[in-house]
Amino acid sequence: MNPTRDSSQRVYLDHAATTPVRPEVRAAMEPFLSDETFGNPSSAHWAGRPARAALAEARERIASAVAAEPHQIVFTSGGTEADNLAVLGGALAARSAGRPFRVAVSAIEHKAVLDAARVVERLGGEMILLPVSTTGRVDPGAVDAALEQGVALLSVMWVNNEMGAVQDVAALAELAAAANIPFHTDAVQALGKIPCTMADAPITLLTLSGHKIGAPKGIGALVVRDKQALEPLLHGGGQQEGVRPGTENVAGAVGLGVAVELASAERAETERHTRELRDDLERRIIESVPDAHVNGVEGERAPHVSSVAIPGTDSNALLMQLDLAGIACSAGSACATGTTAPSHVLTAMGLSDALASASVRFSFAHRSTARDVDRVLEVLPDAVQQVRTLVASLGDET
Amino acid sequence: MSRGKVLVAMSGGVDSSVATALLVEEGFEVIGATMKLFCYGDTVADRPCCSLDSINDAKAVAERLGVPHYLLDFEDRFRQFVIEDFVSEYAAGRTPIPCVRCNTFTKFRDLLAHADALGCDHIATGHYTIVRDGAMYRGRDRLKDQTYFMWGIDPGVVQRMLTPVGELTKEETRAMARQLGLVTAEKPESVEICFVPDGDYAAVLEQHLPPDAPALSPGPIRTTAGEVIGEHRGFARYTIGQRRGLPGGFPHPMYVVGIEPEERAVVVGTADELFGHRVELEELNWLAEPLQAGDTCEVQVRYRAGPVAARVIEGAGERLALDLAEPVRAITPGQSGALYDGERLLGGGVIN
Repeated sequence: MNPTRDSSQRVYLDHAATTPVRPEVRAAMEPFLSDETFGNPSSAHWAGRPARAALAEARERIASAVAAEPHQIVFTSGGTEADNLAVLGGALAARSAGRPFRVAVSAIEHKAVLDAARVVERLGGEMILLPVSTTGRVDPGAVDAALEQGVALLSVMWVNNEMGAVQDVAALAELAAAANIPFHTDAVQALGKIPCTMADAPITLLTLSGHKIGAPKGIGALVVRDKQALEPLLHGGGQQEGVRPGTENVAGAVGLGVAVELASAERAETERHTRELRDDLERRIIESVPDAHVNGVEGERAPHVSSVAIPGTDSNALLMQLDLAGIACSAGSACATGTTAPSHVLTAMGLSDALASASVRFSFAHRSTARDVDRVLEVLPDAVQQVRTLVASLGDET
Repeated sequence: MSRGKVLVAMSGGVDSSVATALLVEEGFEVIGATMKLFCYGDTVADRPCCSLDSINDAKAVAERLGVPHYLLDFEDRFRQFVIEDFVSEYAAGRTPIPCVRCNTFTKFRDLLAHADALGCDHIATGHYTIVRDGAMYRGRDRLKDQTYFMWGIDPGVVQRMLTPVGELTKEETRAMARQLGLVTAEKPESVEICFVPDGDYAAVLEQHLPPDAPALSPGPIRTTAGEVIGEHRGFARYTIGQRRGLPGGFPHPMYVVGIEPEERAVVVGTADELFGHRVELEELNWLAEPLQAGDTCEVQVRYRAGPVAARVIEGAGERLALDLAEPVRAITPGQSGALYDGERLLGGGVIN
């Protein structure tokens, strides 16, 4: 039987891509997906009241988990929208206020930040791309230079989604605050994995996503310390103080609230558990494929992501081998057409195109098990062998 | 009980969709793959072949049939082996067939390499050809038969090839796709060269050659008697047998009968002068015992031409010269001469 269809053979190590909805989350959402509590939270009548209360409770849960105020939680359709609102909305607000129409973003940001910054360029503004070290840490000198030049916004992600690099967010936020410049951080991969709150640093804007932590796809939030720092990208009925209008996704918000609360409460345990599994995986991969290299291993990394470069291979061919054996993981990045450009993250860290295109990402969650790791090790060494033979045979004629 | 593991190339068209369905039905363990050969980027909105839509169609069909599906990125190699050759052939005054180059150097060979890596016994495609015991025969639907493009494939590849729609007519293929409810059932044929938008191959040449390339620069139009009768805008814009773009005023219709790249000349002549009775082939490949001087066979010199009886008059080594039983129109350097024994494809070469 094909292992991709045999669930007992399946291994899911792609939690940085998405996670299943947690039962607690689903249970909390269910009343809002039935005729029990269906009201519009903006309605003044009996049907609206429980919906409004549920939204408020969700805001409180999230605010308490990330040490923010409930009114600072702006629900969005997900991390991408939150990033766009922060970067583009932040830049547009600056332009309107006569401040520099220029954003500074790290070279390893998620595309949601990078492409929003490119829109700023297209609209006549500027984008400063901040280089990173070989461990994925943003270069403080470049940050200083950018702040000195004057920017609308500094955006640096807390934890990189492709290889797990952790930034010194507190220091970056302090630098920005000292220059009186809003600081945005995409914390999609940080929440629930490392300590991650607005308490310890003057963070202006913080992006959260639901589906990376057991809430459904289609819900996220931007934590907004200062609404003046943003120009809305959507316009409509004035919900959420007009920062992000549109009737709120009540069920999603409720789910996000529960998921954020759980992720924060379980953070220490998740951190320990995923780090143990990940370290075991990395150690055993290097044992069986001695020239494999863990990208960014010398730096500070989040516990749940592992990006492994395996020289002489090709990520896509490896992923096919692993998938056919029932193992779900991913490459750096793939565009919608499937053309696999080498990961912008790994190349920004100084990896060659060849090595960046020969990297595979495994990502863990609280639900991952030692058996998952065992299964990878049962399959990977042979898959590497096959793919190396393939790559060598294709390379021979070129 | 599985009949073996097969990697099937799914273009997103109806033929390979049905091929995949037939393999599943026959009990093979099937893995689907779409080969991404080139990218129009933003220049062309949608094509019947190789576009993102086609990839999505292939995915949808695979999903429907319960077959895992992957994308194989052959862009670099396609550029290197097919597009660059296409350009240099035109620059040298010949009329290449990129599909032959693709089948010979990219599509099948690379697909087989991937099949090996995945432990597959076979590769499969939606081509209208019949493969039996390591030999290749014309597809049953003579209008769709694609053996003409296949003469260059390695015989080791043919040994492991499956072409399930080769026994079907196009109508039967469509009917089967409809019956299975496949999204590709009514898709139009892709008739053009896949990487040439709107059939405008000269635009592709202009993109790849410098503006002052001889092949795209003006030169004389000459008759076979040597009389210069006009100027052309680059010999690469002409192919043997072409009438369009030639000066008028002759008692008979005139056709391109030759291209002389050294003089940048396009040579024109009458319809009679377009016919030849001798074909010389280079870059030979054999899917059967190589023919020797004195052997007879049939040769087909164009995709849409019929086969013509021929006798090998010179057959040693790298070249093959054939004497045709009847004169054939527009024997064009760069096109293929595919050699047959009745239904069986014996091999072939590039016309010199």
